[in-house]
Amino acid sequence: MEKYEKLEKVGEGTYGKVYKAKEKSTGQVVALKKTRLEMDEEGVPPTALREVSLLQMLSQSLYVVRLLCVEHVDNKNGKPLLYLVFEYLDTDLKKFIDSHRKGPNPRPLAPQLIQSFLYQLCKGVAHCHSHGVLHRDLKPQNLLLDKEKGILKIADLGLGRAFTVPLKSYTHEIVTLWYRAPEVLLGSTHYSTGVDMWSVGCIFAEMVRRQALFPGDSEFQQLLHIFRLLGTPTEKNWPGVTSLRDWHVYPFWEAQNLARAVPSLGPDGVDLLSKMLQYNPADRISAIAAMDHPYFDSLDKCQF
Amino acid sequence: MEFDLENPLPPWNENFPALFNKENDHMPSKNYIHSLISSGSNLAIRHKIASSIVDISREFDPFLPYLAVNYMDRFLSAQSIPDGKPWIFRLVSVSCISLALKMRKTEFSVSDLMDDGGLMFNSVTIERMEMLILGALQWRMRSINPFSFVNYFISFFKSDDKPSIQSLKNRATEIILKAQNDIKLLEFKPSIIAASALLSASYEFFPMQFQPFRDAICGCFYVIKEDLQHCYDIMQEAAAAGCSAAVLRSLTPANVLDFSSSISDSQSNEMSEAGISGSEIRGIRRQKIEHFATNNSSQLSQKHQ
Repeated sequence: MEKYEKLEKVGEGTYGKVYKAKEKSTGQVVALKKTRLEMDEEGVPPTALREVSLLQMLSQSLYVVRLLCVEHVDNKNGKPLLYLVFEYLDTDLKKFIDSHRKGPNPRPLAPQLIQSFLYQLCKGVAHCHSHGVLHRDLKPQNLLLDKEKGILKIADLGLGRAFTVPLKSYTHEIVTLWYRAPEVLLGSTHYSTGVDMWSVGCIFAEMVRRQALFPGDSEFQQLLHIFRLLGTPTEKNWPGVTSLRDWHVYPFWEAQNLARAVPSLGPDGVDLLSKMLQYNPADRISAIAAMDHPYFDSLDKCQF
Repeated sequence: MEFDLENPLPPWNENFPALFNKENDHMPSKNYIHSLISSGSNLAIRHKIASSIVDISREFDPFLPYLAVNYMDRFLSAQSIPDGKPWIFRLVSVSCISLALKMRKTEFSVSDLMDDGGLMFNSVTIERMEMLILGALQWRMRSINPFSFVNYFISFFKSDDKPSIQSLKNRATEIILKAQNDIKLLEFKPSIIAASALLSASYEFFPMQFQPFRDAICGCFYVIKEDLQHCYDIMQEAAAAGCSAAVLRSLTPANVLDFSSSISDSQSNEMSEAGISGSEIRGIRRQKIEHFATNNSSQLSQKHQ
């Protein structure tokens, strides 16, 4: 790793620390992500090989953070480790929303910007899904921004596949539940692309509200947050829900008017949001269909 | 998620435009192909490593050495290796196979790959070579290859008869596997190899449908007609030499339906040594194709008894 100069720790990815670093020979600033995929007795571990090659393939979209290369280093104990070298972006959607909520100049995000970010997010998610890959942990922290160019890129992709949806990161930091789809919270094991679309809906609402839509602090509380707004799900609007592994008898709430949770959003936006937050994963809008929703009619799609 | 050569992008919906757009990234360079044609020693190195790959992986299905040789070509294309050190060739072979096995999620132990080679490498050595190959290939290990396009092009073949489609596919698969040995075919994109192989198979098995099939493929947005024609012609030359022995062998009744059985190069050499001319062979072949197309095997076997 002598090729790189570590500048600062910029985050804790779910699977390891992330550093901002500079490639000494070129001066290029990169994000270095240490993986916990250690080498084993049989050379490069098969899981790492398959995951990283998939990531390599996905990172060719403008809306997925680019994997520049993979470095192989020996750690202090002489054990080889893999570092993934990504392009570096200086901010993420969480920091961006925070800067609009607090600080010296609190103000809403411009509606055109929300529209543009959401479109790019759908485009990136559609790209992943068309390659058969679920992200499974979409959240504002994982959406990196190039503020100058107004580009949004999905990060922290791919390495999740071989694992189950993480409950705790390796540092035992609790992984946020706010964007987690109800079928995952209810213990469904056969989830699909809908889990990401649920997260996209939560992120959409958060850009409008500047605060999380469902800020639960436990899986149970998370479900209650969802049920209080969208109504407690029933066999009628979500066939099979009461047979899911972690289903219990919950208090019964009627669905609220979703528009009141996102007061500054127009009717097209509310309609798209409601399609992203359908209980039954089979009814939830796909990323590719979302890109054709009337909410985006006023957007100049040629620029993407 | 294991790597399936037919589906490099593990799809729930097939994503062919992405495959066509990316296939160039999964090919050896033009310089490399040129160096094989112009330099005997480069060709010899390729031959040594490829033979060793085929030898070591003989216990596995033919797609494994196919993938490993694909990695090898792309590796040699990016990284020249010194001649005169046979152990390096063996190490490259073992590492390409080991990577291919891992990508295809096959349970194995590296030690299985070295039993009778006489050369033993420890896991650290193999790992270093694997990393070198991965770096050279930029971790593009989900090779977009001809098999990735077979299902796409076969959809242009107008037939509802599943056995016909399957036989077309089987024959095209054989042609693709064989085409990897022909360095003249290395310069063609995987999609063009796939389309040519299917056309060759259709010419052999369903000559009546050849023309509309070719027109449909040529009309495909992603296919450059001239490339396809050029590739197809080279493949025909190779097939003319290769198919002959299969025809002769299949003249015995028991083998009539075993049309697609593969033949070795030595057999075809024997044929040419026996003084059978190319036109004679093609004549026999065409005769057989016509009968095969009418699917009347008993007639065929009677005729030749």
